[in-house]
Amino acid sequence: MAEYNEKILDIKNLDITFKTIAGPIHAIRGINVDLMKGETVAIVGESGSGKSVTMKAAMGILAQNAVVNSGTIEFTYIGDNGEKETVDILKQSKTWIRKNINGRRISMVFQDPMTSLDPTMNIGKQIMEGMIWHYKTPKQEAYDKAVQLLKEVGIEDAEKRMKNYPHQLSGGMRQRVVIAIALACDPDLLICDEPTTALDVTIQAKILELIKKVQRERGISVIYITHDLGVVAKVADYVNVMYAGKIVETGKINEIYYDPRHPYTWGLLSAMPDLDTDDDRLYTIPGSPPNLIREPAGDAFAMRNRQALVVDDKVDAPMFKITDTHYAATWLLDPRAPKVEMPIELKHRIERMKKEAEDYGSTI
Amino acid sequence: MKKYVAKRVITAIFTLLVILLVLFILMQLMPGSPFNDEKLTADQKAALYAKYGLDQPVVVQFFHYVVNMLRGDFGVSYKISKNTPIAQLIAVRLPVSIAIGGYAVALGALVGLILGLIAALRRDTILDTLCTVISVIGVSVPSYVFALALSFQFGYKWHLFPMLYNTAEALNSSVLPSVSLSMFTMASIARFTRTEMLEVMGSEYMLLAESKGISGGALIFRHALRNALIPIITVLAPLIVDLMTGSLVVEKIFSIPGVGSLLVNAIQSNDYNVVISLSFIYSAMYIAIMLVVDILYGIIDPRIRLAKDDA
Amino acid sequence: MFKKKKAAASPIAAVNTYVPVDTDFVLKDDLSDLEIDTNFKAQSFWKEVSYRFFRKGSAVFGMIMILLITVMAIIGPSMNDYTYSGQNLAEKSLAPRVQGLEKIGIFDGSEKMNTINGVQIVNNYKDKGLDDTYYWFGSDNFGRDIWTRTWHGARVSLIIAVVAAVIDMIIGMSYGLISGYFGGKTDMVMQRILEIANSIPRLVIVTLLLLVFKPGMLTIIIALMLTEWVGMSRIARAEMLKLKEQEFVLASRTLGAGSFHIIFREVLPNIIGPIITQVMFSIPTAIFTEAFLSFVGLGIPVPQCSLGSLISDGFNSFTTHPYQIVAPILVMALLMLSFNLVADGLREALDPKMKGM
Repeated sequence: MAEYNEKILDIKNLDITFKTIAGPIHAIRGINVDLMKGETVAIVGESGSGKSVTMKAAMGILAQNAVVNSGTIEFTYIGDNGEKETVDILKQSKTWIRKNINGRRISMVFQDPMTSLDPTMNIGKQIMEGMIWHYKTPKQEAYDKAVQLLKEVGIEDAEKRMKNYPHQLSGGMRQRVVIAIALACDPDLLICDEPTTALDVTIQAKILELIKKVQRERGISVIYITHDLGVVAKVADYVNVMYAGKIVETGKINEIYYDPRHPYTWGLLSAMPDLDTDDDRLYTIPGSPPNLIREPAGDAFAMRNRQALVVDDKVDAPMFKITDTHYAATWLLDPRAPKVEMPIELKHRIERMKKEAEDYGSTI
Repeated sequence: MKKYVAKRVITAIFTLLVILLVLFILMQLMPGSPFNDEKLTADQKAALYAKYGLDQPVVVQFFHYVVNMLRGDFGVSYKISKNTPIAQLIAVRLPVSIAIGGYAVALGALVGLILGLIAALRRDTILDTLCTVISVIGVSVPSYVFALALSFQFGYKWHLFPMLYNTAEALNSSVLPSVSLSMFTMASIARFTRTEMLEVMGSEYMLLAESKGISGGALIFRHALRNALIPIITVLAPLIVDLMTGSLVVEKIFSIPGVGSLLVNAIQSNDYNVVISLSFIYSAMYIAIMLVVDILYGIIDPRIRLAKDDA
Repeated sequence: MFKKKKAAASPIAAVNTYVPVDTDFVLKDDLSDLEIDTNFKAQSFWKEVSYRFFRKGSAVFGMIMILLITVMAIIGPSMNDYTYSGQNLAEKSLAPRVQGLEKIGIFDGSEKMNTINGVQIVNNYKDKGLDDTYYWFGSDNFGRDIWTRTWHGARVSLIIAVVAAVIDMIIGMSYGLISGYFGGKTDMVMQRILEIANSIPRLVIVTLLLLVFKPGMLTIIIALMLTEWVGMSRIARAEMLKLKEQEFVLASRTLGAGSFHIIFREVLPNIIGPIITQVMFSIPTAIFTEAFLSFVGLGIPVPQCSLGSLISDGFNSFTTHPYQIVAPILVMALLMLSFNLVADGLREALDPKMKGM
């Protein structure tokens, strides 16, 4: 495992609004995320919670109607002169980001490999494009490297596949190609936006394995964006739980899974399908994420929370510290709050998970 | 791809045959057709019938008809220019119409593409609004209104271009008609390009290309335009045909000696033979254009080009 | 982790400075709102569509213009004493003159004339002693009132366009729906027929029809009918293919509903939006086709008139009396523009994806 001492990405107080016809949408409401070299961080939340927007901001590919109200995204990398540099991506011009960051230092794997490959360009060209663009790599060299990459991501007959168009490949193959494209310029950070959601269940595990393998071999950092806590459990070191444009709980993977504190995290964990549960009814979180056109005054989760306090409707909770690495934004952690336990079903479930982990010696 | 092309070609041929059949039937029914001329004596009629093979079974007649039409033997004109072979009439006029139509398509497609691109790339700016206004007006105002306005302003008032077509200075006198004809094509292409470009630019593969670091011209031309062009090509064919319709009027306004004015003349003077020959020419041209566009579409889109032939 | 947001940096979210007190820290008793999803307020589809439609200025402009022109087409011809066919050769080619406006120097019946002595301003009303005569849009070469004729022509053009569009809608829609619903071989055969029909240029269909029928309103309507249904049926078929697999159709099929019932009772109401949009788009095409046929002399026979035939008449003297062509051209261009604007607005209102985030 790589050392966890160098900070590579540091997002502070990020706050983003989208201007739409229906009115401004306050999609990201002051979030903080940091990531060390070689580490894997997951951002978990329901769709529309702002996970993807955060990472698009880091890539400089936000939609045109997005306005960054405040915050910094500091990225540390080895510059062209061989020295360590730190830049605030939000302060850089689009041209600079395209030239220095995108593809070269941060790459992205998108959700749906059916739509994220250009249908009119063969995959060889799509892999080579970035190398030729950034490094002026000679064509033959780029070609050889592309073939190598295809082999690395586990595609057989790599040479033959170079000439194929996306529609000639299966979903899993396409996602492998997307990963190959992302790796083409040897980035330091890989952002995977729901990399397995659009794939068959049988393929999902294979793609996760592949990303893990690539990470191990190359020592790069990875950010997962997902709504699937099952995926998170398999891959992440740290977890950020995001709700309505805010991070509501953050911590090491074991802290989130075995000692969740935020009612929303309780909800997410309870909603994970599980074969062993005695309860025959599938738990769901009531309601749906709030529409951020009408931003709630207090805690955005209050109206869906079975353990809501009166204060939740009045003002949003700050981040309470639980351990050095574990924080949660819920008033339940305030000393004045009544003692509220997580739902009993969840408690049983966590105990079961812990026991299993001990039995099988897995990471969690 | 082979199968795709074969299918198109067969459809095209079949369509042409259907059109020929309709024309053939009309020819037989037409009250004013030469064979129904009441002044002819029985002997003369018999001679004519023999000459044109009308004494033979209908199927054979149709076969002869098809062969003649395809060979360009359309018979002779009866009213407009008595006993002149129609092929000859058309041969003189067709190049004029094709030239003007060609300029119009080229101009309209090019300007439309540029306008649409600008509108899409500068979305929701004043430039976008301007392009949208231009294209809405272009689609809504008929070509001959443009023709009249242009001829009034540039021809009548400013004497920049001739008001009427003049064979001696063909190029100069093609300017106004071509411009007025191109307006609709331009407007439609501009509109369509804008929509397609916006759709393509909002797609995930554009995001992926951007996240690779590709930017500027390479992003637009290599990824966006290439994908947007595919559907744009499909709308071009009907537009070219709309040009043919518009050209009737524009040819009248500028007194252009093209096939359009010939058709109008022929209809007004009931010269059926000419009308039917021109209908055939128009249809054949249209079918040919559609075929070319379809095949072009197949070449550009790898999804069709590489489709398995047994699929 | 407790960093406060810079107040100035976030213009949207006012910083909530409420300091919680002890009494706030109790569980909420009232959890009745828990199961209620407030995000998707029951707002009817059509309400939203009309909201989006009316917010778009150009669409509203188009709608008002269509209404205005329609009203004028109905009452315009009877607003003065002239009739659309009444000729008065003594009062031919008079420039527009309107009571009231003439005092401020516009529409006073004078026009520029190119004569051998250069450009002169003449007023034929004065020269002919027609002090009490007013032609609001002027009069034509036969001394007919252009105002009356323009609105009468607009009436004829509108009737042709609307009738043709409605018939197209019925034919095209039924064809598309049936083809899409039954699928398989039926669809294959019907689509091949459509492909062939679509491969015959509109111009050829119209010309051939004119060989068989005499020019007139009916011929034009038939011609439009034969050419415009293809687009409509494509849209109907595409929508049918989309809807056919949906639960409500499956449900009514399992309940034993007949095909006819499903097509026209279940699916049709759900695709009415795109269909109306297409009708709106096909009306200007119909107006244009009518106008071009009239312009080349194959349209409405005299003394009837349509916008196209008026433009054709005006064309003959448009260098000497430009006002004769201006009114019908303006009305026609406005009409076509308005229908296009309304159709555009409708399409965007029905499919807000086109202009999303």
